[in-house]
Amino acid sequence: MKKGLIYSIVTGIVIVAAVFCFWWKFCRDSGENDAGRTFTIGFDANFPPYGYMEENGEYCGFDIDLAREVARRNGWKLVLKPINWDAKDVELNSGMIDCIWNGFTIDGREHAYTWSDPYVANQQVVLVPVDSPIFTLRDLHGKTVAVQTDTPVQKALSKDGKRYEQLGSRLKGLIITPDYPTAVMMMEAGSVDAVAMDEGVAAEQMRNAPGKFRVLAETVMPEYYGIGFRKGDVELRDAVQRTLLEMVADGTAQEISARYFDGENRMILGTVELDIQEDADNAGVDVLNVAVQLLKGLKVSVMIFFLTLLFALPLGMLVSWGRMSGSIVVSGIFKAYISIMRGTPLMLQLLVWYFGPFYLFGIQLSRLEFLGIDYRFIAVIIGFSLNYAAYFAEIYRGGIESISRGQYEAADVLGYTRVQTFFRIILPQVVKRILPPVTNEVITLVKDTSLAFSLSVLEMFTIARQIGSASSTMIPFVVAGVFYYVFNFIVAWSMALIEKKLNYYR
Amino acid sequence: MKMDLLQISNLSKSFHEHSVLRDISFKVGRGEVVAVIGPSGSGKTTLLRCATMLERADGGSISMGGVVFLQNGVYADRKIIREARSKCGMVFQAFNLFPHMSVLENIIDAPVHVAGVSRQEAEKKAMELLAKMELVDYASSYPCELSGGQQQRVAIARALALNPEILFFDEPTSALDPELTKGVLRVIRSLADENMTMVIVTHEMDFAAMVADRIVFMADGIIVEEGRAEQVVNHPVNERTKAFIAGLKGGF
Repeated sequence: MKKGLIYSIVTGIVIVAAVFCFWWKFCRDSGENDAGRTFTIGFDANFPPYGYMEENGEYCGFDIDLAREVARRNGWKLVLKPINWDAKDVELNSGMIDCIWNGFTIDGREHAYTWSDPYVANQQVVLVPVDSPIFTLRDLHGKTVAVQTDTPVQKALSKDGKRYEQLGSRLKGLIITPDYPTAVMMMEAGSVDAVAMDEGVAAEQMRNAPGKFRVLAETVMPEYYGIGFRKGDVELRDAVQRTLLEMVADGTAQEISARYFDGENRMILGTVELDIQEDADNAGVDVLNVAVQLLKGLKVSVMIFFLTLLFALPLGMLVSWGRMSGSIVVSGIFKAYISIMRGTPLMLQLLVWYFGPFYLFGIQLSRLEFLGIDYRFIAVIIGFSLNYAAYFAEIYRGGIESISRGQYEAADVLGYTRVQTFFRIILPQVVKRILPPVTNEVITLVKDTSLAFSLSVLEMFTIARQIGSASSTMIPFVVAGVFYYVFNFIVAWSMALIEKKLNYYR
Repeated sequence: MKMDLLQISNLSKSFHEHSVLRDISFKVGRGEVVAVIGPSGSGKTTLLRCATMLERADGGSISMGGVVFLQNGVYADRKIIREARSKCGMVFQAFNLFPHMSVLENIIDAPVHVAGVSRQEAEKKAMELLAKMELVDYASSYPCELSGGQQQRVAIARALALNPEILFFDEPTSALDPELTKGVLRVIRSLADENMTMVIVTHEMDFAAMVADRIVFMADGIIVEEGRAEQVVNHPVNERTKAFIAGLKGGF
């Protein structure tokens, strides 16, 4: 029996390993045999006009078109790989991509890459709604500003950043969003006053929605874009740069620029010498320091966890009653509710709860602040509670329906009312039966708290990503993993304790 | 004249198209023990479930301890139904004890939370009942720790704790191993000796003959024959009764 189990486990592992080997070999072979060399660029597909997806589903943009032409001239096969911006270093160092080419600012991360010469001079600007009372950087004091995570401007405005003293420290709040579209949506919905971003992106926003936004005349800081190659990959860097210079010489680069910047030439390759400096204090990460920062995020994660349980557990009971209602209309409504909540991604639901009031009813989100709690956090709790209530409801229903009719009949004859029957006879038995599936959901909830990032709530995983991307190391993720595990270990242990306590009967 | 504790007249009940009870009339006097026998599907359990309001009848009238809760197919309001219900107790084939409560809690929970008896008083009464059931040592045990026979005796004590005027038994020993039925039957017999009014649906012919004053034989939703226990068992008149009793006596 035991031997059989071990055999099957070993066999399973061997099969999985074999499949993996074949897959690996196949993928590598196919990659190398196809038309000579491939040239894989990693880019953020949410970064217009440098790299984005057109309505027809094709990737395009200034950087993409440049890369396409470079690949063509060298006879390389171009592979466009949209990446998670947080994971760009892993993608590059593991060889999944050959370079990061997407409005990539040469600033404070010189030690991590082999850079091309700067090819675009850029300004970090501030985008505000057209009717905003903000006109100068000074007007931003006491206001809330959104920035994309792991961008130079985020770093500059954050603590210890270049612009922290004059600007960052005087803001009411700096909201860090997963991407630019989210930041702009937040501004439209009134939950932030301004967004600091690359000027090219800002111009694209204004072009897409004319008359809605304007850019402040004062800029936050200047910067240069370069192409980041794997540290030491000078050969590829030189080949790409050579081709780009040819393209500047024959006017192709200027043509491409004109296409994306209203006829303007933004290509400056070969005209700027940048004095590249090592950014020393960014080079190592102290585990203890990381842990202290993550603990701050853990506090938020724990809060989301407990508040969700507080609301979702009783709410699930109401939903479950509705679902079991004798009325076809009522049970149909709750059936649909459960179906939608379980059938769509929680992250999408969070966006709906957050942006819904504005886009559906035109309510300014800053007004939805309640007892001084940011609506961002409230939306997270609403989204999580309503979603988990649907899952709990079905677990409750399963538990309630598993109780035999005899229990109801015995209670009935003894004269218990329906409410008494439920709370004195049925519920205590249901609790015991549903504990294992509820434990499953609760453990999933611990991990799901990281989804709060989509609304820029600074929970633990968000902070891990920020530290991780700023310092090019995996340590924050490892530490976050350990924290999640410990959190879940405590949760599982507590649930086991309750289960044991209820074990006095079968 | 001795008042009838339970009066059922012209009771009918059908499930979908299938008619289970047809025009049943049936009386139980105070202190009387009536055994209801018959082949499975004859409607005897349904009769019991209609009398205890676990099942809704389609037509007829029922009065329990003078409270008419069903008249010509129309049910009385909730208050009257509660009053009628408080007069009867029920012992199920599957015991239906509450598994999350100890033996004592099973017995006192309804008196305390339904009848409003003080906990102290309820416990005193429960211990008396447990003594009668020969289960005093099991007061703090949980149902899952007891044998089937012991569980059924707890169920009887639980029903008795509410001081019912009439007690219904739905095949109380059918789920038990033969050696465990004895204790249960002994308890029922002692209740009969105390003049407890009881209606017992059972397959135990010998027991029925011994404990019941009257036996009612049902088949296909009607009462085929009824009479003094000894007479129905030993000298049945109706052919179907004869066949049924002969079948039981013949074993296979």
